[in-house]
Amino acid sequence: MAPMPKVHDHVLLTLSCLGFAGVVSGGFMDLAQNRLAKGSAYSLFQAPAFEAAAAMAGLCGLALLSFPRRPKLRSFTTILAAALILWGSCAGAGHFAAFLMQTAPPAARVSLGPAFWILAITAILAIADAVQRGNFGFFARLFIGAAFCAGFFLMAGTGSFDHLSLAREFSNNRGIFATELLHHLGLVGAAVFIALMIGMPLTVLVLRKKAMTGFVFAGLGILQTIPSIALFGVLIAPMTKLSEELPFLRAIGINGTGPAPAVVALTLYSLLPLVRGFYTGFSEVAFEVKDAATAIGFGARQMFIEVELPLALPALLSGMRVVTIQAIGLASVAALIGAGGLGTFIFQGIGQYALDLVLVGAIPVILLALLTNFFFEMLLGLARRKL
Amino acid sequence: MIELRNVSKSFGAVPAVADFSLKIESGAFFVLAGPSGCGKSTVLRMINALIFPDKGQIEVRGQDVRTMEPEKLRRGIGYVIQSAGLFPHWTVADNILAVPRLLKWSPPECAARLDALVGLLRVDPALLNRYPRQLSGGQQQRIGVARALAADPDIVLMDEPFAALDPVSRLVLQDELRGIHARSGKTIVFVTHDMDEAVRLATGMAVMNGGLLIQAGSPASILLAPVDDFVRDFLGAESLQLRLLDLVPVRTLMKPGKKGATETIAAGASLKNALNLMLACRRSSLGVADESGARLGEIHLNDIVARRDGG
Repeated sequence: MAPMPKVHDHVLLTLSCLGFAGVVSGGFMDLAQNRLAKGSAYSLFQAPAFEAAAAMAGLCGLALLSFPRRPKLRSFTTILAAALILWGSCAGAGHFAAFLMQTAPPAARVSLGPAFWILAITAILAIADAVQRGNFGFFARLFIGAAFCAGFFLMAGTGSFDHLSLAREFSNNRGIFATELLHHLGLVGAAVFIALMIGMPLTVLVLRKKAMTGFVFAGLGILQTIPSIALFGVLIAPMTKLSEELPFLRAIGINGTGPAPAVVALTLYSLLPLVRGFYTGFSEVAFEVKDAATAIGFGARQMFIEVELPLALPALLSGMRVVTIQAIGLASVAALIGAGGLGTFIFQGIGQYALDLVLVGAIPVILLALLTNFFFEMLLGLARRKL
Repeated sequence: MIELRNVSKSFGAVPAVADFSLKIESGAFFVLAGPSGCGKSTVLRMINALIFPDKGQIEVRGQDVRTMEPEKLRRGIGYVIQSAGLFPHWTVADNILAVPRLLKWSPPECAARLDALVGLLRVDPALLNRYPRQLSGGQQQRIGVARALAADPDIVLMDEPFAALDPVSRLVLQDELRGIHARSGKTIVFVTHDMDEAVRLATGMAVMNGGLLIQAGSPASILLAPVDDFVRDFLGAESLQLRLLDLVPVRTLMKPGKKGATETIAAGASLKNALNLMLACRRSSLGVADESGARLGEIHLNDIVARRDGG
């Protein structure tokens, strides 16, 4: 009997097992008679043969790639195999949907089933892991990301997905999608900006007055533990009262519902991670370095600009990253109090039991969070280069 | 040059320095020695106004430090600390030029000064574009000394600068510092708890304990006549005679003589070095040579043993 080959990449093996399990156990497509009806599942093995075979080949490739010894080669080929899975499942899903719709009534909907999502997640995780382990530089990462985006938009642009329910929900809402996206970004931007304006003086306070540290962090900690829907709700009453008492506030659009309480709530949530990140950043600048700077004649302002700020910068950026990503997620909930944003689609979708409409809101939120993370990773890389 | 008069300083209820008076002459290599927590660093930090005394007066170059702008005073005084305290986000060159840039020297002046310092401290020019974390402890401290000397201050304060270094790097840097002091005539105030280091470097020294000045004078005078048991113990009572030998160069006991001993020692080396070499090669006499290696004479064990103290 031949000896068992040694597994060199356990992550890949686990991922490919997950992919196989998804393909075998779950439906790849789901055909329903109309938008709200419950559908019947079709497995990947019933999909158009060419694309399904490509996806399966990619999956087998991932499993086999856990054996080679050389990591650099493994990273590169893993990305190719994962691209094959992504292309096979996306193109396969579009092609399959068109095929199913030929014989179905016009009101019928074809949704993506769990097997599709498991395959997509498997492929994306494999790519993320390969990029991480392959130690790819910034431009290589950017190129890989851009290549996958370009591929996706090319397929969408040529109508590959037109028969999928998700694409139809999207095109039904195409008009307001851009508005809600901008709204979402506006909420996040305003909240992060105001949190910075409040957080910076608060950081100075806790750094200067050690006695205040416990008090400030306890207060911000309590804010952080209030569940988000509750905080949005609790703010409605005082904000309504405020706008009734002060007409000029009402005049600039501040009301009990809508964007104003949403921005207030998002700001309050942002304060703890922001101030904690900033506080850690500044208090971890080594004492000897500050002492030496003072001793050779740095003034307070020069010390801050030339020593403390650059040395604390990675921690400051990390704090900003946490806060921004958190706000992107929480802003979805703000739709509940009429603040708009991508959450609008999510809650409409839940209300109508139209899960593909939920995805029209949820997928862009996830992508925004990932993009923000990438952006801050890039800035952090620049800031850390010298440390 | 530097004068402290009846200076006292407490941190909370803990007195750090009590009624301390000291005068440090221009051009001295002055060592403040004493055990940990004796207040020697506090004294040093009061000279460049990092700490202000509760009572008493401190004058630097004849001017009360309280009347001076602290940043301006500090830019005119070099400062080296134990851990070097280099800026981790600046290259070695930028670290060295920190003070000249604070003083707004022009780029050509900075470049010329950097060249001079690289020569003076024998810094490997390849290090200039590296970051401090890429340097060894000895290299970092060498850069720390270069930074302190960068704006050519007439006073340099050093707070246990070599305490964390390995013995070889420490000896090399001590020698170079002594050389720089001898050539430049700067006033150096140097804090250490290491008696060997104190005796090797000092032209004048003060021994402190519990915030008080116990004894001040030349190293030889303190070694020959410790005022009390504390100073005697701190100097290392059992090796006091050996430390004294460290202060005397071989040349003082050299006798003419051309033959005999095959091992030779430099005329400028200390009697302690000579004794060490005799023990190492099991001989009772050594040849003495000048820097070029030319034979000057010889030195005998009997003369070292029979020597009358006098420094």
